[in-house]
Amino acid sequence: MRRSAPWVVPALAAILAGCAPAHDEAVSAAVGGPRYFGSVRPPSGDVLRFNNGAEPETIDPALVSGQSDGRLARALFEGLATFDPRTLEPRPGQAARWETSADGLTWTFHLRPGLVWSDGVPLTARDFVWSWLRVLHPSTAARNAGLLHAIAGAEDFNRGTAPDPSRVGLSAPDDTTLIVRLASPVPYLLQLAAYPTWLPVPRHAVERWGERWTRPGHLVSNGAFVLERWRQNDRFELARNPRYRDAARVRLDRIVAYSVDDLSTSSNLYQSGRLDWNTSGYVPSPFVPWLRGKADFRSAPFQAVYFYSMNVTRRPFDDVRVRRALNLAVDRDAIAHDLLKGTRAPWGRLTPQGYPGYPAPPPLGHDPARAREVLAQAGYPGGRGFPRISILFSTSEDHRRIAEAVQAMWIRELGIPVELRNMEWGSTMQATTTLQYDVARRSWIGDFLDPGTFLGIMRGGDGNNRTGWSDPRYDRLLLAARNEPDPVERLRLLARAESLLLADGPVIPIYHYSTVELVKPYVRGIWSNALDSHPLEGVWIDHAWRPGMEGRATERRHGLVAERMVPLLGHRAVQAQRPPAPGAATERRHGLVAERMVPLLGHRAVQAQRPPMTAAATRP
Amino acid sequence: MTRYVARRLLLFVPALWAIATLTFFLMRLAPGGPFNAERDIPPAARAALAQKYGLDRPLAEQYATFLVHAVRLDFGPSYKFPTRSVREIILEGFPVSAELGGWALLVALLAGIPLGVIAAQRQNTASDTAVMAVALAGVSIPGFVLGPLLVLTLSLGLYWLPPALWEGPQSRVLPVLTLSAAYVAYVARLTRAGMLEVLRQDFIRTARAKGLPERVVVLQHALRLGLLPVLSYLGPAAAAIIMGSLVVEQIFAVPGLGRYLVNGAFSRDYTLVMGVVLFYAAFLMALNLLVDLAYAWFDPRVELK
Repeated sequence: MRRSAPWVVPALAAILAGCAPAHDEAVSAAVGGPRYFGSVRPPSGDVLRFNNGAEPETIDPALVSGQSDGRLARALFEGLATFDPRTLEPRPGQAARWETSADGLTWTFHLRPGLVWSDGVPLTARDFVWSWLRVLHPSTAARNAGLLHAIAGAEDFNRGTAPDPSRVGLSAPDDTTLIVRLASPVPYLLQLAAYPTWLPVPRHAVERWGERWTRPGHLVSNGAFVLERWRQNDRFELARNPRYRDAARVRLDRIVAYSVDDLSTSSNLYQSGRLDWNTSGYVPSPFVPWLRGKADFRSAPFQAVYFYSMNVTRRPFDDVRVRRALNLAVDRDAIAHDLLKGTRAPWGRLTPQGYPGYPAPPPLGHDPARAREVLAQAGYPGGRGFPRISILFSTSEDHRRIAEAVQAMWIRELGIPVELRNMEWGSTMQATTTLQYDVARRSWIGDFLDPGTFLGIMRGGDGNNRTGWSDPRYDRLLLAARNEPDPVERLRLLARAESLLLADGPVIPIYHYSTVELVKPYVRGIWSNALDSHPLEGVWIDHAWRPGMEGRATERRHGLVAERMVPLLGHRAVQAQRPPAPGAATERRHGLVAERMVPLLGHRAVQAQRPPMTAAATRP
Repeated sequence: MTRYVARRLLLFVPALWAIATLTFFLMRLAPGGPFNAERDIPPAARAALAQKYGLDRPLAEQYATFLVHAVRLDFGPSYKFPTRSVREIILEGFPVSAELGGWALLVALLAGIPLGVIAAQRQNTASDTAVMAVALAGVSIPGFVLGPLLVLTLSLGLYWLPPALWEGPQSRVLPVLTLSAAYVAYVARLTRAGMLEVLRQDFIRTARAKGLPERVVVLQHALRLGLLPVLSYLGPAAAAIIMGSLVVEQIFAVPGLGRYLVNGAFSRDYTLVMGVVLFYAAFLMALNLLVDLAYAWFDPRVELK
């Protein structure tokens, strides 16, 4: 997600919070029937207007790394596979079918015959090979190139140590056959193949226009839509691609994706009926408790975790007992329920919920007495002699409130001196990257549905580790998991790694993110899912919808939709989640969703550009 | 006159150089760099980016290269938006900011001057007090309060106007009103003060003694001099209103230039910040020059040397 002026957004949010509509749930319940947030008049044509969020830095699939850029890349381009927005189950995309070798190391994709780019140039298997090598080439400087490291030889090529592209395990024996050789078995390859980094790009346009190939007029695409207009800080306009392989089934003629970075402005536009969809991350959190009663409000668990990390290269964090004591003294339930008003689920693990088959280790709990004991063992009875430590966070009202709460818990329970250290975003990044901090606020978003996408960041020496922590046993477990052909065993290895991390590790998980979005009742085909990813080719405007259809029935239908949003594929989430918080009905709905959360063996990648780090990103 | 303008224009050069140099080194002093992000970037990619943008060269060389390019008005591509050059971003964003600011300035003058004249003419009456009370409120209420209030009432309450976006004449109304409010108030106060001073002068008494109608006295004799304070305020006001619309651009999602400066600084987009800062500096200096020229035209007592 892009970034907005960090001080303006909270300032405006704070002001508008004051103007937030008063609690009138009782009133609307009395009137009966569902209530919507603002105008519900559909647009006149088959147009979808939504807020895509802060201006994307790029829409080149090789370079995208966030939500807003990824959403556009996926609307414009289509990979080998796509996915069902409800189940996140892979579906054929540009490839009609594929097969895997017995050892799981060789995948053969068969492209649909007659594929063309939007300018009529034929699209062949060689386009995929070229596009992926482009991502991997060091000069492309693709932040997400690591997502292609599953391919044999890709990592060395990407690092520049083996500059011969023919050593990368990709080949295209003919126009419609693509053979991918992997370095190790990757059970979630199809999920990866749907990720923006794996999308094909038009070689002829890239070579002709260079870096400016993504501009309107230059950009040639193969997805359901083509780019018509791109005005910076304002909007993208997309039109239907008549040469899309499945063009007959695309029901939207146009898409207008606005680049509005202010949360309140975005919600105002939605309320006034100028947006049909206010995407997750752009609903101001003070509105949420009130919006929950609306029929067009949707929320579901999102694969992202908010946590604190400790810098183990500094005293006293080099002592595992200190790290444990600090962890045990944090009351996550108080933060989630009292401070955040239940808009977030308290969370005691680094990996989020809902990985089917993943035997997740028990979460870290809250035990102040035990925390004091452990701290005394570390040589700081009653906090005596404990050096002054600071909590670093980037500018955001929510980050500050949470840091104040944790500060108070540590002072109260452990008697240690704690101060807050707030820096603007860029400086915070620099301080965490260079280990110039004690305790820092972090967050991570999964790229694909697999615990590995979270656990991988804590590998020794990983650029996202940013704690100085490393443990050869942890790294060995991750490596073993990577090479493990048996999916069940693989997940067990990952779970062992996570227990090790939680017992010894430098992370203090705090809460689990949720998506929060507003979707007008006449918009069909947008489904909440753990990846907050919405293929737009299946979206349509229901012109038959009338406000008169309101009433109990409609309401119930909407309720059902909410519950169904996480479809059960056959496999249910094996992992038992924490029981839902007592109280709020919405909370209970969350619980349901959580338990049923899609199990895909898949994995989706994480990347977040800087998503939840702004207050902007996903709220409850 | 020509020599005066030429001399002023020559003075632009050292001033812009000083600003450019200061900004260049201040940007680099800020912690972090343009390629930091929540997700780490592999070392090879980081090196490739640094090489591409010349950030691997010694600082002195980067500075020299920057100066040479800046003279040609070439600031290179934005680091954050690599498909656009900084020049394109300015050329696309500035007209929007200028339009917003231009309308707001026009509203400020068209509303502020008559209000000020009325207040001055009826000094110490109820209308004077009313005008000045409104002016005080206008100056005191910041845009980030007034904007949302206008949206809440006129847009979300009455559905008269769009709450944001920059499309069509209707969308201009709320941002222009929000941006102009403080300036209407200030212009009214300045006009009133200027007029009060002029109306007490001997030549006005003479004009009245000659039996000229009050309308002619005020509008033809007094107003021209009474507006001098407004005129000298116009330069800084035009600059502030056009460059300082950041908050209004944010609230109403106006795709102007204001937000780039702040966001660029936060994301360490060196080229974008350099380009926008220099552009604004040159713009401000040019406006000041224009105001000085206009001053000479308005007030015969002023002579440009």
